Amino acid sequence: MEKYYDIDDIITEEETVSVIFQKAASGVGIDPSSETDFVEVGSKVEVPFWLAHELQLRQAISVNVPTCFNQKTRLEIQADSACVDLRSRCPYFYEFGCKIASTVGDRTIGFLLLSAFKSRYKEVLTKAHTAALTATSRFSMILTKEETSLYEAAQSSMAAFKKWRMGGPRFQRASVLGRKRKSTD
Amino acid sequence: MYGRKACQLVKELASGEKGQLTLFNIDLIDQVIAECSQHHLELQSLIRKMQEQGLDVQTSRNADHYGALIHHLALVRNKRCLMAYVHNRAEVIQSLIWKVGPILPQQIEERLSHSEEEYFKKHSSALKSYMSRLELDLTVDMVPPKDPYIQVRVIDDIGEGIVLSDDKTANFAPHSMHFLKRTDAEQFISRGLMEELTG
Repeated sequence: MEKYYDIDDIITEEETVSVIFQKAASGVGIDPSSETDFVEVGSKVEVPFWLAHELQLRQAISVNVPTCFNQKTRLEIQADSACVDLRSRCPYFYEFGCKIASTVGDRTIGFLLLSAFKSRYKEVLTKAHTAALTATSRFSMILTKEETSLYEAAQSSMAAFKKWRMGGPRFQRASVLGRKRKSTD
Repeated sequence: MYGRKACQLVKELASGEKGQLTLFNIDLIDQVIAECSQHHLELQSLIRKMQEQGLDVQTSRNADHYGALIHHLALVRNKRCLMAYVHNRAEVIQSLIWKVGPILPQQIEERLSHSEEEYFKKHSSALKSYMSRLELDLTVDMVPPKDPYIQVRVIDDIGEGIVLSDDKTANFAPHSMHFLKRTDAEQFISRGLMEELTG
């Protein structure tokens, strides 16, 4: 409940999972393959996580492990975790992993997340402090949202440290006004 | 899919830069609310159907029950997205007074909805009355300055005849440089009209 207004949490829960209905449901148009507004028992439907989670609690459906946690991804992470494009698989890989692990009851997901994060975190930190801005754009394309915010935090703390050491203007234009400055001429 | 539009609304918040306001998307909000009304109607008709069949709505678990449940969950989800949209914008609006002062620049003002403007006005007047009771200006810089005066350059058109705190008027022509009291210059810098010169 503490995350009720949290934007990232809301977007994480929009991630779709494929589920199998154990109970029929009438009057809902969530199954694109059926022509009527009726979901049969045993039909396989893609639904967003927020719906799947609640229905799972009421034992109306069973949830399959999403493709971003399948065997292929696991093998890739084991091989070279720093180079795997996690963003295109799932932009909130870790948050979603934590949520889905308890829903599908797969204990190995936790270990997968931990090992992936540990090895990628090191890479994120070193790149944030050393790499030039141009070289990082390709690297930041494969980071998940959580990793991107860590990456930005590392960069901004480095910038703040440099500013503190060199000195600089104390006051600045408020950031809400946006970066672009309209030309006044 | 249910709740897709509401999530689009929230994604709009996330896609902008942090702490930036986008245009208040009243169209999409209306669409989400229309979707909610639709869910509500379908939910009611399912419940009515169950009652007509003589079933106990509280305990029976048939197809109609699960259909109604899905509509209910979609309603709750849409509500959460709408609330988050308004709530997160309100937090940015609250922070505006600390960052740009009580007068909103036009580029921000045109992105607010009417009730958001009202909220900003009320919030800033509440803050103002609190500060006048304390006899302390809380919006000034938190770090004690080394020098009460700073050198600034005007980078945008401010207008003539601005009365400063020592009852003198100054002519801030663009690109002119001034030696001002920090407290006077602060609000102009944060609004992007002046910049501080160092060294």
